[in-house]
Amino acid sequence: MPALTFPLSRIEGHARVVIDIEGDTVTSASFQCTEFRGFKHLVQGVPAEQMTVIVPRICGVCSTAHHIASVKALEDAFGIEPPPLACRLRELLLLGQLIQSQATSLFIFTMPDRLGTSSIFDPVQEKDQDERSQLASRALAVRRVGTHLITVAGGQFIHPVKAVVGGMTSGIEPDAAAALSHELAAQLPQACELFDLYIRKSLELSDRIGTWGDDAPAYYLSAVSDSLPNYDGDDIRLLGPDGSVSTFSARSHRDYLTYEQPDYSYSGRTSYRGEALRANSLARVNLTESMGTPLADGYLKRFRAAFGRPAHAILLFDLARGIELVYAIERAIQILATPLNEEDTDIPYTPRDGEGYGLVEAPRGPLIHHYVIKDGLVADAEFVIPTVHNIKSIERALMVAARRYITGKRIDMELEHAVGRVVRAFDPCIACATH
Amino acid sequence: MKTFAVLQLAGCAGCEVSLLNADEWMGGYRLAYMPLVISAHDVPEVDLLLVSGGVRNEEDLYNLRRAAPQAGKVVAIGTCAISGGVASLGDRDDVREVFLADRERHHVPHLLPKCRPIDAVVPVDQYLPGCPPTPELFMALLTEPPGFKTGAIVCVECRRKKLKDMRPSRFAGFQRGEVEPDICLINQGFLCIGSSTRGGCRAPCPRAGHPCVGCRGPSDSLIEKESAVWMSSIRRVISGLTDIPAAEIDHELRSPHLSLFLFQFSDYSSPGRTPRPKEKVM
Repeated sequence: MPALTFPLSRIEGHARVVIDIEGDTVTSASFQCTEFRGFKHLVQGVPAEQMTVIVPRICGVCSTAHHIASVKALEDAFGIEPPPLACRLRELLLLGQLIQSQATSLFIFTMPDRLGTSSIFDPVQEKDQDERSQLASRALAVRRVGTHLITVAGGQFIHPVKAVVGGMTSGIEPDAAAALSHELAAQLPQACELFDLYIRKSLELSDRIGTWGDDAPAYYLSAVSDSLPNYDGDDIRLLGPDGSVSTFSARSHRDYLTYEQPDYSYSGRTSYRGEALRANSLARVNLTESMGTPLADGYLKRFRAAFGRPAHAILLFDLARGIELVYAIERAIQILATPLNEEDTDIPYTPRDGEGYGLVEAPRGPLIHHYVIKDGLVADAEFVIPTVHNIKSIERALMVAARRYITGKRIDMELEHAVGRVVRAFDPCIACATH
Repeated sequence: MKTFAVLQLAGCAGCEVSLLNADEWMGGYRLAYMPLVISAHDVPEVDLLLVSGGVRNEEDLYNLRRAAPQAGKVVAIGTCAISGGVASLGDRDDVREVFLADRERHHVPHLLPKCRPIDAVVPVDQYLPGCPPTPELFMALLTEPPGFKTGAIVCVECRRKKLKDMRPSRFAGFQRGEVEPDICLINQGFLCIGSSTRGGCRAPCPRAGHPCVGCRGPSDSLIEKESAVWMSSIRRVISGLTDIPAAEIDHELRSPHLSLFLFQFSDYSSPGRTPRPKEKVM
């Protein structure tokens, strides 16, 4: 049985796609994660309070989400609630993470697929100078404003330290907040301009290939609320193909989600009663009424007019990311206009043994940290990773692409590009998925 | 134009993300290989090869051995590539047993018995420690600005004041909420190891109120010495600034057994390993 193997690039981490063919039929498509560090095991015996600085090292792209999920899991175990200012500061941290992650996915990972280049750093041809002049440095500047937000709110932008059990180590001084707000405001038009270019190029792409990808209805999973995209969510919601929504807590995730461990990958795979799930940007945009900020809502309105709600085609994940990028910059500016250093940022607490769950909506979907603490040490840890929820959907979309481009004895060379586009639409994070 | 490549082994991509924040190299270098941002499947001949992540599985070993001879100069980037990093926590025997037990089940690159630093596999010309190294340090590596100099230890860059008369008699715990601005974290009862840790990061963690966990590894004065010297230097600093009993300090230094970056001390000082010469460490 011949198999086609596709190494992957422009995604976070090490993975490949293998498509099996029997006769002239595609029999399977698997998404194989090939790295493993064993965080679930290596944190055993670690003092529980140190988890907040160890777990960001699961992933340098999603570190902020792990940092906060970890703090929330410990707070749940110790039975404490942080003060309101700490929650606002944490929202800023997660917005910084969202700006950084969505700008990276849009402009560094997937823009080259729209431009037909191998990377955003390729030299720009003379004929394209108008629209692509300084493309790489403009994209990096938008991305960098997200990292500055994380630095100011979190102390360090790759592996932040300022979220601590009970709150935050400090607020943000008015001068620093004003400078940051100014920088965000300066990058907002830049982000919109790059996103507009991205939309135009995506329309050209879909015209050329004749599809927006796998558009069969699916289940959508997110921790954002139904009225606004609150990334520091408390419950997970599941939207079914029939439009029904079920809500459940992080604590009861196993009652709703089924996990399996395929032999060919270091990552697990989630389903809802055997059906494919989708998390990440498209799930949030499908599950949220509005973004609540003017420019992002303008984009959302156009998106819904063109593709409906819920929207299903997978290349729409990428467009949804752009809407969120704009939202995150606008929302961060709103929060920075409020006083961020006038109230307490933390409450006192006493650590205790027990069990805790921490949930945040990470850029790739709902992320859960679950710890069991004995004698102050981690006795067991569970990391429920958003990318894992998407793997079945990635494989389903890969089958659709494979069947499109493998016909009879002929393989269309477009398949290799299609595999890249399918995988990148889900923006999987392999370091997280395998941890 | 000079060329460089970035090879990512077992790590978190944090080093790469930090590098993306330092884009001043774009005028002087061509980036020839970095799978995170470029579709290219092999490391071509390059002037400079940056390697991040530890050698965790067979594929890491293969990729590193294939890439290193392509480069004029090999630089180990980040704590994982230099001393195994956080993944080395998995090298404790009790943990190793658990997670190596089922490795044969997977049709995937097999794990090696231990996570190894890259200089255990190929010769390394330079080291840039940090988890991750800051964009400023990446820029210094790539653009070599004349007269670039960093503080010898994290304390020098932290600039919190060390007080003689604020002497806690016990540790306050790992980290507890809001801290006093401008006063040394040890005076406030935190186990901060900035005094023995290499500077150059501008002390983002202690300045933000979180104790230094030592991700940049030993300072020049300690790097070629064994871990006992390192430990006693930390102990001496804490005794000088607090009234915490010596036994309690020892207990704290040992009780987060091997967690955070304290574990990397052992890698720097393993018997039989030639110390990394300080001239090669940024």
